[in-house]
Amino acid sequence: MRKQKLGVFLGTIGLAAVTGITGCASSNQAAPSEPATTDAGASAEVKQSSNAPVQIDFWYSVGGANGEMIEKLVKEYNESQKNIVVKPAYQGNYYENHTKVLSSVTAGNQPDVTMVEIASVGAFADAKVLEDLGSYAAGSEKKYIEGLMGNSYWEDKLYAIPFNRSTPLLYINRDMLKAAGLDPNGPKTWDEMRSFAEKMTKKDGGKTSVFGYSSPIDIWFYEAMVFQSGGEILSDDGKKLMINSEAGKAPLQYWTDMMKEGTMKAPPGEKYNAWDVASQDFLNQQVAMIFTTTGELKNMREKAKFDVGTAFLPANKSYGTPTGGANLVVLKKSPEEEKKAAFDFISWMTDTAQTTRWSAATGYMPVTNDALEAAEMKAVFDKDPNFKVAVDQLQYGKPRPMVPGYKELQEVIMTEIQKVVLGQSTIDDALKQAETKSEKLLKK
Amino acid sequence: MQPTMGTQQSSLVKEKVTMKKRSLSRWTETVRPYAYIMPALLFFCLFFFFPIGYMIYLSFHDWSLLDLSAMEWVGLANFQEIMLDSDFHLVVINTIIYTFGTVAISLVLSFFLALWLNRQAKIYGIMQAAVFSPHIISLVSVSMLWMWLMDPQYGLLNAILEFFGFPAYTWLADTSSALLSLILVSVWKGVGYNTIVFIAGLQSIPKDIYEAASLDRAGKLRTLAKITLPMLSPTLFFLTIINLISSFQVFDTIYIMTQGGPVNSTNMLVFYIYEQGMDFYNGGIASAASVVLLGLIGVMTFLHFWFAERRVHYR
Amino acid sequence: MKIMGRIALKTGEAVMLIAVSLIFVFPFIWMALTAFKTLPEVYQFPPTLLPESWQIQNIVKAWESGPFPTYLLNSTLVAFGVLFLQILTGVPAAYAFARYKFRGRNLLFALTLIALMIPPQVIFLPIYVEMSNWGLVDTLWSLILPYGASAFGIFLLRQVFMQVPDEVIEAARLDQASEWKIMWRIMAPMAKHVLVTFGLFSFIYHWNDYFWPLIMTNSNEVRTLPIGISMLKASDGGSEWNIAMAGNMILVVPILLIFFFAQRHIIQAFTYQSK
Repeated sequence: MRKQKLGVFLGTIGLAAVTGITGCASSNQAAPSEPATTDAGASAEVKQSSNAPVQIDFWYSVGGANGEMIEKLVKEYNESQKNIVVKPAYQGNYYENHTKVLSSVTAGNQPDVTMVEIASVGAFADAKVLEDLGSYAAGSEKKYIEGLMGNSYWEDKLYAIPFNRSTPLLYINRDMLKAAGLDPNGPKTWDEMRSFAEKMTKKDGGKTSVFGYSSPIDIWFYEAMVFQSGGEILSDDGKKLMINSEAGKAPLQYWTDMMKEGTMKAPPGEKYNAWDVASQDFLNQQVAMIFTTTGELKNMREKAKFDVGTAFLPANKSYGTPTGGANLVVLKKSPEEEKKAAFDFISWMTDTAQTTRWSAATGYMPVTNDALEAAEMKAVFDKDPNFKVAVDQLQYGKPRPMVPGYKELQEVIMTEIQKVVLGQSTIDDALKQAETKSEKLLKK
Repeated sequence: MQPTMGTQQSSLVKEKVTMKKRSLSRWTETVRPYAYIMPALLFFCLFFFFPIGYMIYLSFHDWSLLDLSAMEWVGLANFQEIMLDSDFHLVVINTIIYTFGTVAISLVLSFFLALWLNRQAKIYGIMQAAVFSPHIISLVSVSMLWMWLMDPQYGLLNAILEFFGFPAYTWLADTSSALLSLILVSVWKGVGYNTIVFIAGLQSIPKDIYEAASLDRAGKLRTLAKITLPMLSPTLFFLTIINLISSFQVFDTIYIMTQGGPVNSTNMLVFYIYEQGMDFYNGGIASAASVVLLGLIGVMTFLHFWFAERRVHYR
Repeated sequence: MKIMGRIALKTGEAVMLIAVSLIFVFPFIWMALTAFKTLPEVYQFPPTLLPESWQIQNIVKAWESGPFPTYLLNSTLVAFGVLFLQILTGVPAAYAFARYKFRGRNLLFALTLIALMIPPQVIFLPIYVEMSNWGLVDTLWSLILPYGASAFGIFLLRQVFMQVPDEVIEAARLDQASEWKIMWRIMAPMAKHVLVTFGLFSFIYHWNDYFWPLIMTNSNEVRTLPIGISMLKASDGGSEWNIAMAGNMILVVPILLIFFFAQRHIIQAFTYQSK
């Protein structure tokens, strides 16, 4: 009896498969007639008449005031010429945007231009969804600062143009440092930072009212601290995870020691939520020093009611930092005409005039060599030297690892180091775990 | 239809026409109910039965959303991989703790709420509505609201705790409390629904049974245990199943509030499937995990119908 | 003594009533209060109860942070579109299940019931693939079509249709009314009450839905309100909870208003399945 039912059930599935095909055809035809639903209709119209402007989609993943600046620049671009109309769309943070980009490629409604966090450029290029920009740029890529091009190439081809680029910085509350009788330029070394943090931590009864130091337990800051300890994340060929080493252990030891001393706060929240918490604590003067991106500089300066300073991340064996932020890429699946338009838009967005203003409005680094020399940029640097700190720190900068497997591996590492800081695992066990899990991912 | 048409051939012309008409109308009458069901069935096939079959098919393949043409048959390898993967074990364990935690707490609370609020006075009606109100609110709002309430530093909950002299709680920030916090949120959202259903169940118990009990001078607790509970058992069973199924597929609160963290302590099945399928492009793993989830829900569904059928028979 | 005891009991119960209602209602009030505070006030600890000054512009700021008129329109289109399709497919199916005897009826009805139990959330991956193949991802169709038939709706309507007396239908048939007419002109109006109940259920469900639009949409033109609201959470450099809560008011207040006026209907709609 039951078997019979199963047979009918499977039969129905078969029927569904057949109806699926017919249903598909009819609903497909129905789709474009709905006015508000498809872009496909709009872009088809563009192609029909050659005079109409080319419309391109641009996805970005910075919110808040920085996002507003992007919208503003795009609007200016659209008004500056008649041939191309850029349609910007905010897609959430980097992780959310990456998910959206990859799944939209499957569905065939991918954007023409999108921001891609620099460590994932390799994964995207390897998945063959990005357009080789070599012929479009035709040498013009030389105008970008060389230290920012490390995550632009995959297998010797140019896939990405630097846009909102950053390094992590040490943000300091100068008022608090002065009040504690410390050097208002901030600590230079790990040891110094540790003693600074101790001096600025305040306890009210059993409760800590001010922490000396806070940093999201994020892969980016961990990478920085591994570099500072003289280590590497991946081997040169990208096949092996190198953090199960002295240099890989040092940051975790440092963080857990400071957590034990009660001078460091690990901000709660997953991924960028933790960053938000760290910034908010800093602004509320509940933390004296934090690690965060230079991209938040403008925001901090505007919102803080105290003297905000920035400094290089302190050195362990040496200074060291990964670069960060996102590059702009063009999607391979886009029509020829839109790809050309997309590259024109990218060149404009990242050109000296725009990158200067972008930098001044956000705190991200200017990306062209000329911008560093431009009068407007110099005026910004003179007015607030904090804006130059990331650029100066670039001399110690390295690209982020970018083998395809790293997109997933970075989340694995992050989970393991968080385990350590939350006291769920020992340093040795966590790094060993990360190493084991990395083997499968790096084979890809 | 064909044979009936055949027998008409030998008849008189005039009769033939009317017969034809009649058989045609008979034919339309036979087909009519199917035609009426057809549109709905088409949707079910397209968006329910076919996807289920397709998903099972996909779970035997190594594939990624990036390139559907590059699909490779791998047999049971995907299942093997998740069965051996400690992360997946954690995901299943989390899902089970979350599900049973939510269902148990919610059902016990709502049972007592129902006993209490099942009265005629207007204030109880208002209370029922108040308790029910979170159920119709979008999980987006519920998640963001509770994320804010549970903020370890500025949140209202810790303010209240500290006001009464308790230490602040970690809520979503710690591995030991995050899953419990999510359970709390889903209990808050769902308890009203269960309460209302319990009240409906209570009201359907014939009054004369209670009258008989009061004549027997049965104590309140005894009445509860001997009459109310057994009479409510169908309702209780229905609620258990419905709650289990909806808890198994928790996603929105995780996605908005914790992203599966801290350190995977709130990573559960649908979120895992989403991450594997949409983010890491392990389509095979994602569909194998989906099949596991479908199996769990299938068992629940089967239990539900099995019980419903028995209930009908015994009435 | 006995009277004192009863008073104590009554007071005890009153306290309990207030406490329980606060647990369920106060979070909404807190949402509203936060929505009208300034950001520095939001980050005060211990928090203030009432805003020092009521920041009405927070609502405006939330509304202007994205194309909210479009989101609102899309949410409405999707919720009504789904409902329209569900009624269009549901009434005939329910009528057939209720009033016709035909081969395979029980099996087909059992299949419908299975669809009632398993939500599309579980099978989103294959549906996403389907939608991709048809080029419907990131269109409103991808939000509407998967919900085109409601097993729940069919189930509800069937029960009403079964209760309609045979004489009513016979009389209509004698009047030469077509089956189609009987279905829409006679049966459907008799099920008005259930249609309203079901309509409320379906509308609220799709108005609130987050998962499906999250998977299926990626451009502002087709995003719905819950997606737009959830994007208020992420802002670089500290969460603006006042703006986020203000945005959520846009999502929550309409539903609470409907609930206020159609409470009994809604409670019935959501708990009907239990009967």
